[in-house]
Amino acid sequence: MVELRDLWLTYPGAAQPSVRGVSLRVEPGEFVTLLGPSGCGKTSTLRSIAGLETPSAGAISIGSADAFNATRGVDVPTHQRDISMVFQSYAVWPHMTVAKNVAFPLEVAKRPMDEVRTRVAEVLQMVGLTGLADRSATQLSGGQQQRVAIARALVRRSAVMLLDEPLSNLDAKLREQMRLELRQLLKTVGLTAVYVTHDQEEALMLSDRIALMSAGKFVEVGTPLDLYLKPRTLFGATFLGAAEVFEVVRTQGTSIETKIGHLHVETATTNFSHVGIRPEAIRVRQQKSPHPSANQLQGTLVSAVFSGRQQQLIVQLDAGRQIHVLAEATTIFRAGESITVEFPVERLMGLTEEASPD
Amino acid sequence: MSPRSLRSVFLQRAWLPLGLLALLLYLVAVPLALLLVSSFKPTGLPFDEGFSLQNFAIVYGDAGFYALLRNTLTFALGCTVCALVVGGVLAWLVERTDLPFRATARVMIALPMVLPPFLLAMGWVLLASPRTGWFNQLAQDAFGLAQAPLNIYTMGGMIFVETLALVPSVYLILSNAFRNMDPALEEAGMTCGARWPAMVRRIFIPLLSPALLAAAAYLLIVGFLVFDVPGTLGMPVGLFVVSSRIVYLATDQSGGTSAYGLIAAIAVTFLVLLLALAWSYRRLTRQANRFVTVTGKGFRPRQLRLGAMKPVAVALVLLYFVLAVLAPLGLLIWTSLTPYLASISWDMAGKLTLAQHAAVFSNPRVGAAAWTSMWVSMLSATLVTLLALLVAWTVLRTRALGQSGRNLLDVLSFMPLAIPGTMIGMALIYMYLTLSFVPIYGTAWILVIAYVTVYLSFSTRTASASLIQLHPELDEAARTCGATPAMTVRRIVLPLLMPALAGAWIWVVAHVMRELSTALLLQGDDNVTLAVQLWSYWAGGEPSKAAAVGVWLVVVMTVITIIWQRLSARRDVVFSG
Repeated sequence: MVELRDLWLTYPGAAQPSVRGVSLRVEPGEFVTLLGPSGCGKTSTLRSIAGLETPSAGAISIGSADAFNATRGVDVPTHQRDISMVFQSYAVWPHMTVAKNVAFPLEVAKRPMDEVRTRVAEVLQMVGLTGLADRSATQLSGGQQQRVAIARALVRRSAVMLLDEPLSNLDAKLREQMRLELRQLLKTVGLTAVYVTHDQEEALMLSDRIALMSAGKFVEVGTPLDLYLKPRTLFGATFLGAAEVFEVVRTQGTSIETKIGHLHVETATTNFSHVGIRPEAIRVRQQKSPHPSANQLQGTLVSAVFSGRQQQLIVQLDAGRQIHVLAEATTIFRAGESITVEFPVERLMGLTEEASPD
Repeated sequence: MSPRSLRSVFLQRAWLPLGLLALLLYLVAVPLALLLVSSFKPTGLPFDEGFSLQNFAIVYGDAGFYALLRNTLTFALGCTVCALVVGGVLAWLVERTDLPFRATARVMIALPMVLPPFLLAMGWVLLASPRTGWFNQLAQDAFGLAQAPLNIYTMGGMIFVETLALVPSVYLILSNAFRNMDPALEEAGMTCGARWPAMVRRIFIPLLSPALLAAAAYLLIVGFLVFDVPGTLGMPVGLFVVSSRIVYLATDQSGGTSAYGLIAAIAVTFLVLLLALAWSYRRLTRQANRFVTVTGKGFRPRQLRLGAMKPVAVALVLLYFVLAVLAPLGLLIWTSLTPYLASISWDMAGKLTLAQHAAVFSNPRVGAAAWTSMWVSMLSATLVTLLALLVAWTVLRTRALGQSGRNLLDVLSFMPLAIPGTMIGMALIYMYLTLSFVPIYGTAWILVIAYVTVYLSFSTRTASASLIQLHPELDEAARTCGATPAMTVRRIVLPLLMPALAGAWIWVVAHVMRELSTALLLQGDDNVTLAVQLWSYWAGGEPSKAAAVGVWLVVVMTVITIIWQRLSARRDVVFSG
């Protein structure tokens, strides 16, 4: 269990705080991802949990004890915290063999020799490096080095594992493969983990919960499905997946006047600043509808690009905007033809400019 | 997990950096401050009564001072320009043309490093002194000249020998710059239709200018502070530069301590100049780093075909090797084998003897000097390497002392680059003559302190450079594995830095072994080093004995240099892995 309470971090000499009052509770066995663009403070938050940065205010507890508490003056040094960490650069020590790297946390903790041997063999098997135990770490490929780093973190059986963009240095194909392996691994081990990434697909595939970060704050926190289907903020809708968003002019119950016309949403509220929809949720028909019903808009097809699984359409709405639509691959489209688009009411997302998580 | 208060953690982490800062202030700032104070004291000793500008008045009122200034400038500028030209041409030939026997050429150009500059100068005295020089005798015999054509005891001779000694350093700096030039930059120029003159003017010079300027500033600093060559070639005939003048004034017994005020005034004047130079060197090297033209290892520099010029190029490399190593070292070996000073001839060849070597080896003073040289060099190297590691670590990897405190630490560790060994030596004399409760004046310990200060700059830069290459996550990973900071340093940081630190250590050992000016100034009864012993043989009119000691010094230097080369090769393997 890890808990952050109103954590602030300002680097010495920096004008602005990097982390501005974040709070989060990670339950045992839960995998939480901090997702956000670069510079949003996600790595600073993670490094604060590890004790590699000293927060300016707030508290961090790991397990049941305080690891950091600014008001009570507690700051447990990194090596006494019950954590393990995987770094972006792997940080595999080049002067040691694979087995020595993995054994290091146990040697430092002065575990008996045979326990060290069995536990090292166990995690090396888990990450699929059994045959490479005596290799020098410099003779490994990037993917293998990352496995060593993960094994070294696993072997400690710490209360929480911290992962700082562990896949971002791998090439695209390997990254995809490691993503699946990592997911498999953490489901079998039942790991409690905090994971930092800027890759939304990675976050969606791996996490139990995602904390979406921007400018040092948590913008939204929720399960991948919730955040994707029902984001509450403009940032959430546009950063996590693609979205077409329309500015709200006026709201009247469930009827909302936007820059492109009237749209109906499921629940009535007054504080929406935008209404959005995912490109794959938009339905298209290849004709003008004589009597457009609710949430239907007229337009002209600008282009259709076939990309295998689907077609990417660009539609010029009569109301003045161009929007992107993902359509089935099998329909034949011609540029210039008339198009009716429909926004299903259950897929319309009412968005606010900024929201604080609950 | 035991919670600890922020305050105690702060205290625990702060004492080491503070102690480090205090130590560096003591080593670098205090001696310089005492030098400054001394220059305003009528007696020339820092804690005596009174304050006067009399020393400066005497120094600045003396026409000799302006001659000294002019000589020093001529010498420093002269060897800077010559070394840049010779070293630049050699580096270009080896790195950017199809010169044959490239590997051999590299060794030939680097080899003069094993020959201490004062030995090189002594070798050249044997080759080109007006009365006994071998080259002079050959020329006189061959052309029937009445007068010796060469005289090494001149400003030209000094610049010539110093240039020979500086070329390897220039070569190292510039060959790196040549090697790291991406041919894509040249090809881009050529595809834009540039011809060769335009290429040189618009692409080569601008690209190389940071390296050239940094090399020039470095050479100028060295030119200002070296003693070896001007001390061997200029001092005997009264041709002084500032460092030899200081040694002369300080060791000239007739003046007593009365000259100390004057020395301080001269030293302070030149120190201002040197620190300004060092400051611009620092800025230039930072700029040079910004101009990184390396884009990875996947390229070979474009090579110019020498064609008919090939023999000329080979001859040029050979000529340098002969002048800088073969001829002076050969003459030294010859001289060490002659029973009395005599030039190379068939008649003498029959009379060669190992008697001088035997005499030197059986002299207990030489044995004591060798022992002093050895332990002083090893202890100084160990201390300065440790200190350098601590400074580099504090500056690069901690937030201790605040930004300005760390900057101060950085500047203090850099400053000795610009302080001549003669001035450190003088400053330490002032310091420990007055601080008589630290009874190290005249002992080898004062040498250790001097050398730790003198080589702090080099060691810190080496330690910083290798620490920068060490990704911070490597040591953070150890801490997140549960290792204490001490354990992290012992198990992770030290093993990874060891090749680089060992390289720096052995470099310092080699340089302390051959260091002359500081050891001369600080010599007492118990701290005569091998270099000082050699110098006193030479100055005392026993060149054969001096040569015998010199030959063995070169042997030791060669062994040390080979070890150093091996270590650097290993370091490259570790970091490219």
